[in-house]
Amino acid sequence: MKSLLFFAPLLRPHLRAFALTLTLSLTTLAAGTALLGVSGWFLTATALTAVGISFNLFAPSAAVRGFSFIRILSRYFEKLVGHNATLSLLSDIRRWLFASLFPRLPLPGRQLRHGDLVSRMTADVDALDTLFLVAIGPLVTALIVGGTMTATLFWLLPGAHWIYAGAMAAAALAIPALLIVFTRDLGRQIIDAMASLRVHVLDAVVGHDDIVLFDQQRHVSARFGAAQAELSRLRSRQGLAVALAGGGVQVLTAAALLGTLIVGLAALETNAINGAVLVGLLLAVMGSFEATNVVVRAVGKLGSAFAAADRLKAIATRPPAIVEPVRAIPLPPGSSVCFDHVDFCYDDGVPVLVDFSIDLAAGGHLAITGASGSGKSTVLRLLLRLADPQAGKITVARTEISHVALADLHARIALMSQDSSIFFDTIRNNLTLARPDATDASLWAALAGARLDQTVRALPQGLDTMVGEIGATLSAGQGRRLALARTLLSSADIVVLDEPTQGLDRETELAFFNDMARALEGRTVVCVTHAHIPAEIGLATRRLENGRLTDA
Amino acid sequence: MTVSSETHRPFDRRLKAIAKDGGLPLVLAIAAPLGSGALLVVQAYLLAQILGATIVDGAPIGTVAPMIAAVAALWCVRAAFSALGEYAGQVGAERIKGTLRVALFDGLLLPQRGLGVAPASGATSAALVDQVEAIEPFFARYLPAMIAAGFLPFAFAVILFPIDWIVALLFVFTAPAIPLFMALAGMGAQAATNRQANALAQLSAYFADRLRGLVTLKLLGQAGPATDAVHAASEDLRRRTNGVLRIAFLSSAILEFFAALGVAGVALYVGLTFLGYLPFHPELTLASGFFCLLMAPEVYQPLRQLAAHHHDRAAARSALAEIEKQIGVTTAIAAPSVAAIRARGPIAIRTLSVPPILDGLDLDIASGKHIAIMGDSGIGKSTLLRAIAGLLPHEGEIDWGAGRPKIGYITQNPRIFFGTIADNIGFADPSATRAAIETAAELAQVKCFTAALPDGLDAVIGEGGEGLSGGQAQRVALARLFLTDPDLILLDEPTAHLDQRTEAEVLDAIFDFALGRALVIVTHAHAVAARADAVYRMAGGKLFAVPHRRHRTSALRKVAQ
Repeated sequence: MKSLLFFAPLLRPHLRAFALTLTLSLTTLAAGTALLGVSGWFLTATALTAVGISFNLFAPSAAVRGFSFIRILSRYFEKLVGHNATLSLLSDIRRWLFASLFPRLPLPGRQLRHGDLVSRMTADVDALDTLFLVAIGPLVTALIVGGTMTATLFWLLPGAHWIYAGAMAAAALAIPALLIVFTRDLGRQIIDAMASLRVHVLDAVVGHDDIVLFDQQRHVSARFGAAQAELSRLRSRQGLAVALAGGGVQVLTAAALLGTLIVGLAALETNAINGAVLVGLLLAVMGSFEATNVVVRAVGKLGSAFAAADRLKAIATRPPAIVEPVRAIPLPPGSSVCFDHVDFCYDDGVPVLVDFSIDLAAGGHLAITGASGSGKSTVLRLLLRLADPQAGKITVARTEISHVALADLHARIALMSQDSSIFFDTIRNNLTLARPDATDASLWAALAGARLDQTVRALPQGLDTMVGEIGATLSAGQGRRLALARTLLSSADIVVLDEPTQGLDRETELAFFNDMARALEGRTVVCVTHAHIPAEIGLATRRLENGRLTDA
Repeated sequence: MTVSSETHRPFDRRLKAIAKDGGLPLVLAIAAPLGSGALLVVQAYLLAQILGATIVDGAPIGTVAPMIAAVAALWCVRAAFSALGEYAGQVGAERIKGTLRVALFDGLLLPQRGLGVAPASGATSAALVDQVEAIEPFFARYLPAMIAAGFLPFAFAVILFPIDWIVALLFVFTAPAIPLFMALAGMGAQAATNRQANALAQLSAYFADRLRGLVTLKLLGQAGPATDAVHAASEDLRRRTNGVLRIAFLSSAILEFFAALGVAGVALYVGLTFLGYLPFHPELTLASGFFCLLMAPEVYQPLRQLAAHHHDRAAARSALAEIEKQIGVTTAIAAPSVAAIRARGPIAIRTLSVPPILDGLDLDIASGKHIAIMGDSGIGKSTLLRAIAGLLPHEGEIDWGAGRPKIGYITQNPRIFFGTIADNIGFADPSATRAAIETAAELAQVKCFTAALPDGLDAVIGEGGEGLSGGQAQRVALARLFLTDPDLILLDEPTAHLDQRTEAEVLDAIFDFALGRALVIVTHAHAVAARADAVYRMAGGKLFAVPHRRHRTSALRKVAQ
């Protein structure tokens, strides 16, 4: 519930639209109630009027027509304005959520699964619409119209107003409150079950080949079936709660109507009220309960909306993995890289780097080799502050990197990592992410540097070819080459490459290292590779072993 | 209109076909509003009698008390009916969705549906989770409303006929006109709904893709532009949704208008009759008039319900269309996995083509022989393995000789699932014992890095091998191979991320394991190729034999020397 308040600032720009929606829905309900009341009164009055005596037909029939038109028009605009306001609010929430993710990167992959993240971004945001559009609006309207109706009864048929007010309060407040209590946990479980279903699907798509190859379809399908059955069970229970609440509201409507009828008939016997007014009141009572039906259905989904809000808040308020300096100092020009007695271990406590030092002057090129898992990639992660060391300091351009703004640091360094993403977009757009103003000539030069130019030239649409998810239209090796080309395209002064030649045969690999000195001349390069680099290439090579650098 | 109804037909047929899965609950959901409608007539009649007796005839309250009690009882029964109907609708829809989802999921696991053939995972999960969810209102609400709307207004009119034939005729003629007008207003709705469903799928795919690459975007300084792009995509969805809603709301406004006209017409007729201005039915009592007036909104109520859920049918149709587009057949049944038989005979591949990559390729894999395939990246080596494994549709022939062998294939990008390392290895064979998993981990050199972890093999790793280096993830995947007992082993650069020493140890384990089995290994490393019986180079979609002398010597021993 508290998480909802968290989203209040995002609501502010849309307050006027929501206020307008509320006014319109109030108008709709009031017109509907008045319509029924006036028609009931009108009809009874005509029946009670002796034949032939003149009866003012005009005023009531004009009122009936007026109320019907007002109701139709205001309902149409109420829905239109309300939905539009909600949807633009959801767009704002998505933008805000996305923006609040970036400072919190890297997210801990071992706790937060990709499918779960996608769920939050799409379904959880959608679940919030229930809250703003259907729950709060009808509730407020029901209370206002209910209050007015109670006052009217108090004036025309005292005694009935207690019954009516009690039934209305139970239908608009007590039943929704009970429903919230009963469905709150259910809503959370449903949101979790949906997210788990999504994770199963994403696993099945991305892990398709392995599932098929190991003949695990049956096993995986059974697991999915169980997750789906759990979701069905939860939703059926939610459906039962909502159905019972809906039935309860109908019973309360009957109680209000029949209570008013009994009190009214008693008053009729003492001539305290006339028949026409009584019938008018009865129909108005019925009409005023219309809003409560909507409240119940919306409130049934409220549990999910609360859970969604909690999940969104949890991710948006997660403490950032890397803390930006409170007062960032500007990063002076330069491209020297220095690790000074750095110690680092991951959460599991296994030391990766121990007393690790590099001193690389601006424009220097260094290759780091070492066994798989020896921490080569970790060196690069530390340089980009994707993780912070426990001891020692890292400087770029003689400035400690923890003192400069992350954006400045990232602008200075171009990274090709083993998990550099290729986006579901054209080759051109994938490349220009690194340099938005790049010319075609520089794109081709970067592709040539990554040994991918001939492949791209052979594609019918060349640079404008769409690359599938995880680069599926390109082979795995070509996807890596594209990420390399993107890095080469960047104008950053420091270039760091993680296994740039993976997937190349030995001749091409050697050619790449041969060219590197010239292609990246003047820029500082740190390259991590398990390839053997012959001495004649003239690339300074150190070996990472037991957390320290040794001469290769 | 004929064109659009033609395009709807297959989806409507499919909706009808899957409705069977709803079973008894769906029948109950449809029957409940009908039963409730029948009781409503009695209830309205009693209420009208109460008012007529007390207000016109001045009957004391005691005489109508039984009738009031009856109305209360009827009202409660109707409330129970509507609760039952709503619950049954939910249960029925859950059954339908569950059956559909499992069928679709099994379809995802068909062999030919690998990445690159299948659409983006984000769009697929949106189709399977969200689009399937979108068909729920069709069964839970639209279908019962449709049947109620086709039946109740006429039944009500028939009942009113003996009481006042003019009112009955008014209902008979106005009620059917309403769906006609609604159809006119809703003509563009299906197209708009389809566009919206499509935009929703694209938005999901877009989010899945961008969320996967968040770190890359951040490092490229693209946080701002990417955030704006997300907002723009979401706004696009809003505009499309608005387009749908405008039409949907317009058709319900039209219906409201006609319903209001109908009710007002009845009120005016009854009022004027009471005042003596109309000659048709001078003896009309207040009770009868009131009954007509109470029934008037109820005649239109089923139609209003239908209008409120009118959009659900369009939504269900486009959801099915979207599911079909993203996942394909909605009636997919998992192909029965053909039980592989012990088959270690020679395999002959003839004129195998996967345009435009492989072009009439021939390859003989003699039983128990080890073949290495080299070639530039992107030339089609992985494609060949995928075609042999049946993951890709291909032309040409594969003669399995003695019968289809059991294949063990470790791809270039094996999927590491969320879970422990041991779970990930045991994935290859859920019945594997802990000891077998330990041995496999040992052989694949997994143990040499898990030994340093506090949880060892039970360390939890993230999706896609998060928390492992590239080489470590590769070895975890490779360990799966040692849990299986294949006749033909296909390996795609199994040592690409490994340093020389680990590579040598892993290769020893692989070639030991492959003794007596056929092996096709794709590699860039001459050290790997050197151990094979035959080496081919791939170029131009074909294979060319490379002159080769096999080194059986363990590479490890060579390193040691």
